[in-house]
Amino acid sequence: MSGSDVILDVRGVSKSFGGLKAVQDFSLSLSQGGLKGLIGPNGAGKTTVFNLLTGVYRPDAGTVRLGGANLVGLRPCAIAEAGMARTFQNIRLFGQLSVLDNVRLACHLRSSGTMTGAVLGSVFARGQERAMTERARELLRLFDLADREDEEARNLPYGDQRRLEIARALATGPAVLLLDEPAAGMNPQEKVELRQLIRRVRQEFKVTILLIEHDMGLVMDVCERIAVLDYGQVIAEGTPAEVQSNPRVVEAYLGEAPAEAGHA
Amino acid sequence: MNTSAAQLRERSRALAPGVGLSLARGVAPLVACLVLAVALQIAVRPLMGDYAAKLVLDIGVAVILAVSLTIVNGFTGQFSMGHAGFLAVGGYASGAVTYYGSLKVWGSAATHGGLLSGRPMSVDPSTLPLIGSGDLLFVGALLVGGLTAAALGLIVGLPSLRLRGDYLAIVTLGFGEIVRVCIQQTGPVIRTAAEAAQVPAWKLATSVGGALGFTGIPKYTSLFWVWLIAGITIMVAYRLKRSTYGRAFLSIREDEIASEAMGVNTTRYKVWAFVISAFFAGIAGGLFAHTLGVGLSAEAAGFLKSFDIIIMVVLGGLGSVSGAALAAMVVTLLPEWLRGKHVGPVDLSQYRLVIYALALILMMIFRPKGLLGVAELWDRSLWTSLAARLKRLAGGKGGSR
Repeated sequence: MSGSDVILDVRGVSKSFGGLKAVQDFSLSLSQGGLKGLIGPNGAGKTTVFNLLTGVYRPDAGTVRLGGANLVGLRPCAIAEAGMARTFQNIRLFGQLSVLDNVRLACHLRSSGTMTGAVLGSVFARGQERAMTERARELLRLFDLADREDEEARNLPYGDQRRLEIARALATGPAVLLLDEPAAGMNPQEKVELRQLIRRVRQEFKVTILLIEHDMGLVMDVCERIAVLDYGQVIAEGTPAEVQSNPRVVEAYLGEAPAEAGHA
Repeated sequence: MNTSAAQLRERSRALAPGVGLSLARGVAPLVACLVLAVALQIAVRPLMGDYAAKLVLDIGVAVILAVSLTIVNGFTGQFSMGHAGFLAVGGYASGAVTYYGSLKVWGSAATHGGLLSGRPMSVDPSTLPLIGSGDLLFVGALLVGGLTAAALGLIVGLPSLRLRGDYLAIVTLGFGEIVRVCIQQTGPVIRTAAEAAQVPAWKLATSVGGALGFTGIPKYTSLFWVWLIAGITIMVAYRLKRSTYGRAFLSIREDEIASEAMGVNTTRYKVWAFVISAFFAGIAGGLFAHTLGVGLSAEAAGFLKSFDIIIMVVLGGLGSVSGAALAAMVVTLLPEWLRGKHVGPVDLSQYRLVIYALALILMMIFRPKGLLGVAELWDRSLWTSLAARLKRLAGGKGGSR
C-alpha cells in the first residue's frame, strides 16, 4: 500500500464517543491524483472520518500521513496549511460575507505579509490583496459564480452554495480535497454538471479527491476506487464493479444477502 | 504545496502599485485626520462655545471606544463586556505617567502644553509654542496607557480561546469588576515632588488615589488630540476590516469551524483582536483621564460604562466601523438633548438607561443586525438596498389605498 505515489496514508484510526465506537481501525490510502469514493449507510461514520482527517476530532489511535508528515494532533488550521481542504455536509459558508470574500478568505492561508503592512497600506500588502482578488475571481469564473461575487453567500441558491464551498476549499491550495456529499440537495441537472465539475477540478488543480456521496450513480460514475464503511469499519475496497458485487456491501445496505449480486 | 504561496507572492509583485501612489494613499488619510483635528481645535470653541466644545470632545472619546470595541464584538463576534476595564487601566496608567512625570521634571503637576493641547483659561495663548514639552510627555503617557491595556487584553483574550457566547461575556464582565476593585485598593495620591522623590517608582504606580479617585492629573486633552486619535482609530479599524486580516476576523464570527478548516488560526486572531481593541481603549482612557472636568475614579471601569460602549456598537451595527462612530455620537448627545425635557412631571434625562433598553429591544425586533449591519456609511449597497426598501414601502402604501 505504501508506494512512493501515495499522498494520503491513513492507518488504524479509531475514535470513540463514550461507549460508541464511531470509527474503528480505519485505514485508507490515496495515490497522487486519485479519486476515491467513501460510501456507506447512514451513520456508518463517514463524516466522522472527515472530521478525524481534518483535525476537528482527535483520533484515539492511528496515524494520518499527508505526503509523509503525521497530522494527528495538529489543529485544523495547521492541517489545512499542510494541504488538506474540505467541504461540509451541512454547508458552512460565511453567510454574511460576499461570495468573493468567501473565496478570498480561503486565499489568506497562502498569503504573506503583516497586519501592520495591511493597516499602513504598504505596496506589498496591496499587491497581495490584488493577487488574492484575482485568484478568487478565477476560481469563481471556473465555478460559474463570477456574476454573483457581490452577493451575500447565504442568499445563493442551494446548488450554488455547494459549488462555492468547493471553490473556497480549492482556494486554500490543497493537495487533497475532501468532499462531503457535494450532490446533496441538487437536482438531476445540477448533478450532471457536478460530475463534469469534479473531473475538471481534478485535472486543472491536480488534486487528489476523497468523496463522500449517497448518490450511487454519481459515485460509480466518477470514482476510480471506492471504500465502503459500515459501523465505523472498512468492509470493502475496490473498483466500482468489485464493490457492487461484494456480498458484504450488499448486506450492509440491504440487511441480508439477496440471491442476485447487483445494485447496492 | 507551497507552490501556490509562491505563485501568489509572485503575482502580487506583478500587481503591486507604484511606490509613489501607494505612499500617497497611505499618508493621505493621516493628513486628513491632522487637518480635521486642527480645524476642530481652532474653530469649535470660538464659534460654538465651551459647552459644545466639551460635547465634541466627549464624542471623540466615545468614537474611539466604540470603534475599538467593534474590532472584538463586531469583527470577531466575541462578546466582550469588560471594555471599560481597558479604558480605566489606560486612564490610570497614563495619568500616573503624566502626573508623577510632571512632579519629577517640573516639580509640580501644572501643564506644559502647546497651542494644540488643553490649557487653563488663565494662560495667554500668544506665549505658547505649537507643541510644548508637556505634550511629548502626554503622548508618551497615552502610549504607555495603550500598551498597558493591550497587555491586559492579551490576558483577557486567552480565556476567549476556550469560551464562547454567554460564558465569555461573563468572564469579561468579571474582568471589568476586578479592575474596578483593584483600583479601589490603591494608595492615596502623593502630592509633592519632595515626597515623590523618596518613594520608589513601583510604589508611585500604585499611589493613584484608591476609592477617592485620581485627582490632579494635568489636563492636556484637547479637541486636537482626541480627534487626531479618533481619526487614526477609524482608519486602522476600517483598513483592517478591508484587508485579508479583517476577513479572517469576520470569518470567525460567521463560522469558527469553517474558518479554522480554511486555515485561519482562529486562536491567534481572536487574541489579536482583543489586543488591538484594548490598545485603543487604553488610549481613549488616557484621553479621558486628562480631560478638564473629569474626575478619574474606579467607576470608570464599571459595568455601566462598558454597557454604554456596547450599546454604541450594537446600535451602529455589529461590524460596521462608521456605524459604531455614528452611534457613539448619538449615544453621547442623547442625554444632553434629554436634559431638561419633561413629559408631565417626569424628567426624561433620568430615564436614559430605560431609553437605551427600549432602543435595543426595538432594534432586536426590527433590525437585529444594527443600524448599518456590517456595511459602512459610504458603501453603495447600503443605500441601494435602503432605496429599494423605501420604494417597496411607498408602493405597499399606494396599493392599500
